[in-house]
Amino acid sequence: MTPWFRLRVLPFLLATALTPHAWADGVAFVLNSKSASVSIVDMTARREVRRIPALREPHHIVLSPDGKSLLIGDTAGNQIMFADPVTGAVQRRAPVSDPYHLAFSPNGKYLVVNGLARNQVDVYDAATLAMIKRFHVDSTPSHLDFSPDSKTAFVTLQDTDKLAAFDLTAMTPKWVEPIGPTPAGVIWLNGKILVANMGSDHVAVADPATGKILDRIVTGKGAHTLFLAPDKKILWVNNRAAGTTVSLDAQTLKIIRVYNIPGGPDDIDFAPDGTLWITRRFAEKVAVLDPGTGAFETVQVGRSPHGIWLNPKAPAP
Amino acid sequence: MEDPFDLLAGWVHETFLIPLLYATGLMKWEDLAQGWALFAIYGALQVALTLALCMPLERWRPVEHWPDTKAVAVDIFYTVLSRVGVLPLVTFVLFYKVQTSLNGWIVDHGWIPPTLEHIFPILFGHPIPSFILYAIVLDCADYWRHRLSHQFRWWWALHSLHHAQRQMTFWSDDRNHIVDDLIAFVWFGAIALAIGVPPLQFPLLVLVLRFIESLSHANTRVWFGAIGERLIVSPRFHRAHHGVLAAGQRSCNYGSVLPIWDIVFRTADFSRDYVQTGDPSGEEALATGTWLEQQRAGLRRMLRA
Ligand SMILES: [Zn+2]
Ligand SMILES: [Zn+2]
Repeated sequence: MTPWFRLRVLPFLLATALTPHAWADGVAFVLNSKSASVSIVDMTARREVRRIPALREPHHIVLSPDGKSLLIGDTAGNQIMFADPVTGAVQRRAPVSDPYHLAFSPNGKYLVVNGLARNQVDVYDAATLAMIKRFHVDSTPSHLDFSPDSKTAFVTLQDTDKLAAFDLTAMTPKWVEPIGPTPAGVIWLNGKILVANMGSDHVAVADPATGKILDRIVTGKGAHTLFLAPDKKILWVNNRAAGTTVSLDAQTLKIIRVYNIPGGPDDIDFAPDGTLWITRRFAEKVAVLDPGTGAFETVQVGRSPHGIWLNPKAPAP
Repeated sequence: MEDPFDLLAGWVHETFLIPLLYATGLMKWEDLAQGWALFAIYGALQVALTLALCMPLERWRPVEHWPDTKAVAVDIFYTVLSRVGVLPLVTFVLFYKVQTSLNGWIVDHGWIPPTLEHIFPILFGHPIPSFILYAIVLDCADYWRHRLSHQFRWWWALHSLHHAQRQMTFWSDDRNHIVDDLIAFVWFGAIALAIGVPPLQFPLLVLVLRFIESLSHANTRVWFGAIGERLIVSPRFHRAHHGVLAAGQRSCNYGSVLPIWDIVFRTADFSRDYVQTGDPSGEEALATGTWLEQQRAGLRRMLRA
């Protein structure tokens, strides 16, 4: 070893030895909906290190506004499991009817929970989990999102091909409008509301005030979920039937690139290194996609992985 | 570790079911279809394993020899229909809306169906003991469903279809009237409201339970010894239930996996040795008819009862 090389390597080795977690290793939480478990994945090693049991069917995962808890919705188990966002340790369990998709309003006041199998949209007080309002819908409320001012919640109604809006100030239904076949993912973007229609090949763009469709963006067969990149420049759409992940310019909604992600791409979370972590429902795997090269690595997880949440700041599990 | 059966189910779903659902505008059933693909693949595995294990046993020590085995063919049809999930799928789809609104209505009235884990919180985080406890509770529930199906005349008219088989083999387990299957579906639906839906993440454990049920019908002189007979239902034990003298109201050995319920509720009979099966009081169509003839005869008998 030349002195020159030693000089370059030594500080690096010292840093590693003395401060084992000086830089993050990262933990990914993956909800295996059909094996009733949560996979704890080492983000650096790209390997599942352990599995924590859920109750029956965990689908979606969300971080509490104070950042202290992960909420894991378990539909068939009728409970929300609270877990530590660093270690995954179970903090507590709350009985909640059929929590399918769930999200906190941007102001952190409300937790809205869709009961897909019970035709209910429930609004809870985020702090106490006391129910404020139950909306009966027709039918099968799938995904939800909010207006940035937290005044309106938007819910896709899967089996009746509609989008519903709820006024969270008055706690009243606002409107219900046809949106397209089998709507799934919904997202607020630049003053519009976007809905992925799984029974079709497009994302519908609607007016949040009226629900009227303004435009349709073709993304691929079985358009299912929508995620905005952290820099808010790219909108990502997963197409369930086509087996593709598509990047769109968030401003113009023009397609930038189409990536082949077979195995039913579903939920996405974004890692600080620019990769996308995508659950592949029918493949028991997570794809770690490098959008630059289009190549993806795979991480083996459980049966029918659905929700995913990354904690890049956590030490290696 | 990769599960080859999961991957096979995923492949079937992605390659055949999704394109079909997409083309026919039925993508709302996509999640159900995935569940069904898993059910069907594991069901096919159940049938294959049962065949591989029971066939040699039936060859090795048969109870009965038959000149021909034509009557067995319909039982194979029953097995495929229910194990590969055609019947469960139809029942589920037909009653999906009813179930959804009923569950919503119950929740509105303040009842969130608990799980056994909620009732016994020590079970939280221990899925396998939970599964075993569910299996025990549901086996007890099935004992009573089965016992009552012998008690009521109209119900027995349906269940006698299961007993009509004189050439009983490991294929006979799923030989049931569809209305009888439907009642079982409602029966377990009601139990699910009280104690929750059992965990479904262990297809291999389900496979073991279903194997015991199939084996208990096998045409083979197999028993598990004086103690084993009292722990797990054996072919000898269940054959006594199918005996010509045990058809109808005064039967014995109703248990499907665990004989304990027969012991506790005083319906166990460990003395009968490899008896002849069948229901002499039933009509011939129930025994040797085609699937449709059996279904029609069962319905007719129920309406008359
Ligand atoms: Zn019987
Ligand atoms: Zn039987």
